[in-house]
Amino acid sequence: MDAGSIIESMSMPPARQADVLRWPVIGAFLRWRHARTSLQLVVLLITATLVAHGLFGSQIGPRNLATVVTWVHYRGLLVIALLAAGNLFCTGCPFVLVRDVGRRVRQPWLRWPHRLRTKWIGILLFVSVLFIYELFDLWALPRGTALLVLAYFGAALSVDLVFAGATFCKYLCPIGQFNFVASTVSPLALQVRQPETCRTCRTFDCIKGRPETNQRGCELGLFLPAKIGSLDCTFCLDCVQACPHDNVALAVGVPGAELLDLRRRSGIGRLTERWDVATLTVLFAFGGLLNAFAMTAPVLDLERWLARVMGSTSEAPVLAVLFVVALGAVPLAALGGAAAVTRHLTRPTSYSVGQIAVRYACALVPFGFGVWLAHYGFHLLTGGLTIIPVAQSAIIEVVGWAALGAPMWQWTGMQPGAVFPIQLGFILLGSIGSLALSYLISERDYPDRPVFAAAPWLGVVLVLAAAAVWILSQPMEMRGLGLSG
Amino acid sequence: MPVGSPRPCDGGACFLLILAAACCMVAACSGRPALAEDVTVEWTIRPRPPVAGTAALAELTLRDRARRPVRGARLQVEGHMAHPGMAPLVATAAERGDGVYQILLRFTMRGNWILLVTGKLPDGRRIDHRIDVNATGPAG
Repeated sequence: MDAGSIIESMSMPPARQADVLRWPVIGAFLRWRHARTSLQLVVLLITATLVAHGLFGSQIGPRNLATVVTWVHYRGLLVIALLAAGNLFCTGCPFVLVRDVGRRVRQPWLRWPHRLRTKWIGILLFVSVLFIYELFDLWALPRGTALLVLAYFGAALSVDLVFAGATFCKYLCPIGQFNFVASTVSPLALQVRQPETCRTCRTFDCIKGRPETNQRGCELGLFLPAKIGSLDCTFCLDCVQACPHDNVALAVGVPGAELLDLRRRSGIGRLTERWDVATLTVLFAFGGLLNAFAMTAPVLDLERWLARVMGSTSEAPVLAVLFVVALGAVPLAALGGAAAVTRHLTRPTSYSVGQIAVRYACALVPFGFGVWLAHYGFHLLTGGLTIIPVAQSAIIEVVGWAALGAPMWQWTGMQPGAVFPIQLGFILLGSIGSLALSYLISERDYPDRPVFAAAPWLGVVLVLAAAAVWILSQPMEMRGLGLSG
Repeated sequence: MPVGSPRPCDGGACFLLILAAACCMVAACSGRPALAEDVTVEWTIRPRPPVAGTAALAELTLRDRARRPVRGARLQVEGHMAHPGMAPLVATAAERGDGVYQILLRFTMRGNWILLVTGKLPDGRRIDHRIDVNATGPAG
């Protein structure tokens, strides 16, 4: 089936009303040909500074820009941007900028193998980064953080200098996979403005690009007329630049609505047939819980107990057991159990337990996003201002005198107690979103018995919400020395 | 066969230069006072381990290479949690004589703390010493 017949066969939704690309100032900037490069340059400059400080500056985490900016500001601003707008941090990704420079020297000569065009490797890398972060206490290691950032640059460059398109972004990048899932609950999405214009288009520049102007099309294989939502979209704006009909909108929509969409989407297929995407969404939700739990006092008590039981003096096997339980056994039991109950309550049904779990997995995304937001938002709100004394301290390291004044260490942020209600709000909103999605999926798949079908999933979401509230209410214990601490 | 299309990337080379410049800046030498490498810092803290939320008394003893007490130092302690972004402790040490300096600290959270002892000796040289402390939770 060629692109023209795809357009003819699909039923494109009408363009939504608000189009950010038509707004003054912001819209004009985003439509500017060099908008993305400008953002990338700014982020690259910041990244270069913090990598340099991470490598050569103070190796005390809270006094180093690499650890402070990466683990307090970057993560917090990332989730806030995703909540308020969309995948803006992929737009400004400096790894892709360096890759683009590399591609001016050497063009990729291979295509990513078909059998690897899934999320499985990306999932493995996503979990690996979470594991490495906990194992090595990366938040406390400026040089380790800087090396991780450099590893991202190296990986993006080496993969994309060999394989065409946005192979690293789409199939490998752990941050990208996180952003793709989270952006499904963002309010903005790039989409066609006027479907009629696409029906008469025969050049398909949005995906093929315009070689005469060196403008590439979507490197992630998202053909705009068949694109639904923001999954796999890096907000690179290439389609905006490539479309000769100016027919791309950055439209406002209902966050999470795309997760209900059963249609085949370009570059992805049907969500209900993508076990890898379903797995990614589940790990996104449970990974958020585990990542937050790892900052509390009970997890250290649990780790020490496990270490005694296992007779281990090393943290790695203990942490591995925690990961297997939290990201493997518990999700399998929760989703498998809920799917089995749904199947039982909706007999006769045409779906297997596995298929039911895949169809409902995406309902956990809003909850997971709420957990990440509560966690990363906490660090940003309580520690956002620490960048000031840390920058002052860095200047003293570099020039030998207090050019920006003595470090004002009293500048931190909000009191943790004041942030707690905000965190509860994020968990509540996320949970409401997941409850709503669970019910809407049930209405979609079991119109005769939506309440019965939804009941176990509502239970799963409520239990997860209770777990999240419990985790957030635990005393924090910020370790930086592993089990020995 | 080559695939994909090249894309102009304005200023790429320029920013590689900026990256190099940033590295050089951070690595540049500074004109700080000399470190008093012959002075040792011994420390105790009570209670040990300190308990989050309650006061702890840290005592620092400065001695030179001949184990003589170092008097007249102006010392400050910065306490940082291992995780960035947490409120640090800042306190000034009070001299108690014979090279002994005391600081009252109140750890706000359980976990690993890094105490940075900085200051100046009467001869102008600087003290820069790191102490790792683990604060526990309140009993019960």
